[in-house]
Amino acid sequence: MPQIVFDGVRKSFGPTEVLPPLDLTLEDGEFTVLVGPSGCGKSTTLRLLAGLETLSGGEIRFDDRRIDTLEPKERDIAMVFQDYALYPHMSVAKNMSFALRLARENKAEIERRVHAAATTLGIDHLLDRKPAALSGGQRQRVAMGRALVRDASVFLFDEPLSNLDAKLRARMRVELGEMRTRIDKNMVYVTHDQVEAMTLGDRIVVLKDGAIQQQGSAEELFENPVNRFVAGFIGSPTMNFLPATIQERDGALVAEGEGFALPLAGPRQAIESGAREVEIGIRPSSFTTDMGAGAPVELRVSVAEYLGAQSVLVTRCGPHEVLAEVASTRRFKPGETATFAVPPDAILLFDRETGRRLAVPQHPTGG
Amino acid sequence: MDRAPNPAFYVLLICLVLMAVGPIWLMLATSLKLNVDIIQGTSALFFVPTLQNYETVLCDWLWYEPEHVRRCDRTFGRALVNSLIISSVSTAITLILGCMAAYALVRFRFMGRGVTSLTTLMVRMVPPAVLLVPVFGIWTFQYGLDGTRGGLILVYVAMNLPFVIWILQSFIVQVPVQLEEAARIDGAGPFRTFFLVVLPLIKPGLAAAAIFTFRIAWNEFLLANALSDRSTRTVPVVIVNSITEYSIDWGAIMATGMLLAVPPILFTLVASRQIITGMTAGAVKG
Repeated sequence: MPQIVFDGVRKSFGPTEVLPPLDLTLEDGEFTVLVGPSGCGKSTTLRLLAGLETLSGGEIRFDDRRIDTLEPKERDIAMVFQDYALYPHMSVAKNMSFALRLARENKAEIERRVHAAATTLGIDHLLDRKPAALSGGQRQRVAMGRALVRDASVFLFDEPLSNLDAKLRARMRVELGEMRTRIDKNMVYVTHDQVEAMTLGDRIVVLKDGAIQQQGSAEELFENPVNRFVAGFIGSPTMNFLPATIQERDGALVAEGEGFALPLAGPRQAIESGAREVEIGIRPSSFTTDMGAGAPVELRVSVAEYLGAQSVLVTRCGPHEVLAEVASTRRFKPGETATFAVPPDAILLFDRETGRRLAVPQHPTGG
Repeated sequence: MDRAPNPAFYVLLICLVLMAVGPIWLMLATSLKLNVDIIQGTSALFFVPTLQNYETVLCDWLWYEPEHVRRCDRTFGRALVNSLIISSVSTAITLILGCMAAYALVRFRFMGRGVTSLTTLMVRMVPPAVLLVPVFGIWTFQYGLDGTRGGLILVYVAMNLPFVIWILQSFIVQVPVQLEEAARIDGAGPFRTFFLVVLPLIKPGLAAAAIFTFRIAWNEFLLANALSDRSTRTVPVVIVNSITEYSIDWGAIMATGMLLAVPPILFTLVASRQIITGMTAGAVKG
């Protein structure tokens, strides 16, 4: 289980640069999730690591051993593909044992490992079937099993759940989570689904246009996003962004915009001097009906989506659309105008131009 | 409501069947007649069937000596062996080269890929008759390949390769690239990826190409006639050569024709079993 180091890794396809120099270190035994919108270079990064693409520059090391010049088979990796990539002419057992047979393992050992992996994944009754006779979920398990039987040091997952229906995906997510605790290996997981990223990853790396925006645990990314992109990408429903101007009122800072004026009190709102035109970010879940919690905001409800315990309100605040997630104990009707409180602590400030988070959490600087 | 089909439909159908089956029936009937019956003409429908013609043709391989054969002519037996060897060897070589070439053309990016792909097809557009003279010259005077089985095999491989490459290309395109990537990750080198993963999946294509190649090589007359000698003649050439100024043994010719038709039929029956659709089903998410 090596430490995986990307050192200035670049990739271009012809004149198109898909990956600007990337520096990234994945610690030993970590479950890392690369997450980002499609086209952000996450799959390319994984394929570079797997050896399916060649680097245009830089190097990849496992500990101190340079591996980017090695063939995939010399890298000691196992990979689960997005669309399974099962060998259609082989039975499930043959699919799973393919790598071992190529490596000329002895038969008894192959049998033992295939059965062990199949039992873990609950597909031991399917071993004689061909992939065509399996359902999507079963195929996904076989693909997973094919990686599991190999005693590789690094496991790569390329959006393995994206082809499953919602229910099955949730189930497999849990199983992956369980598997992760059992198998102490380096795992690198690529997804565009931030829910998968947050539930599975020890470390989440958010990519955009091939550049790392932020990396850290799910909590770090959710609580302390470094820019507007990360703030908007992580968390569901998405964070609300409203243009605002910072004003000083009676010695206190207030973020004012069309339809709201929110006092900034907490240390998170401290801003650097000069940044007056900002965007404020408020998570939908930060709106509360407990009026003591913060400054009031009036929102006109246009759609109320009832989701059980929670409801998501699509509302308007001045000209802006604002999502609010509130407990379903009080039902809101479309057209109704309601007042919510926003705790000052829940407001994040972003530079309107660069999208950079404006925060110097140590001490607020007024004026 | 079923409407009774027009009687003309049946007339047309019968005509078509007669056109298709008639020559074969005529060949079969003639091959079972004595030369006396064949020449006479009046006994076209009524005759005593005999295997004499087949005995004449196969005299070499029979365990008994047919009494009507005074001197056993070994030509047909030899030609059959030649035909079998030349057809199957050229088919095998064509398939081996063809599948690899097709794979390279589909999967690898190299300079001149499109041109290569197109020129292979252009070779196919040239009629064999046009090739006849230059090939004869080169084979005879430059390489001394005239009159050898190898020479004929070489021409047939060259002739059929473009078509086989084109058939197989369309099959290889359908094999998802992810399968090959999975195989690479699983530790297969390029050759094992090709032979263990790609080849089994294009079996239907190989079968179709094999049927095609075998039949062309089996039936080919023009080049075989020019390039073979007494000992390497193939069956079609032997049939034509047995028509001489002095005698035409129609019975034997027809028997040879019947025997000539058998191997490709058997070959097609066996090979076509491999042509099944949906080989790649279940590989990747549709």
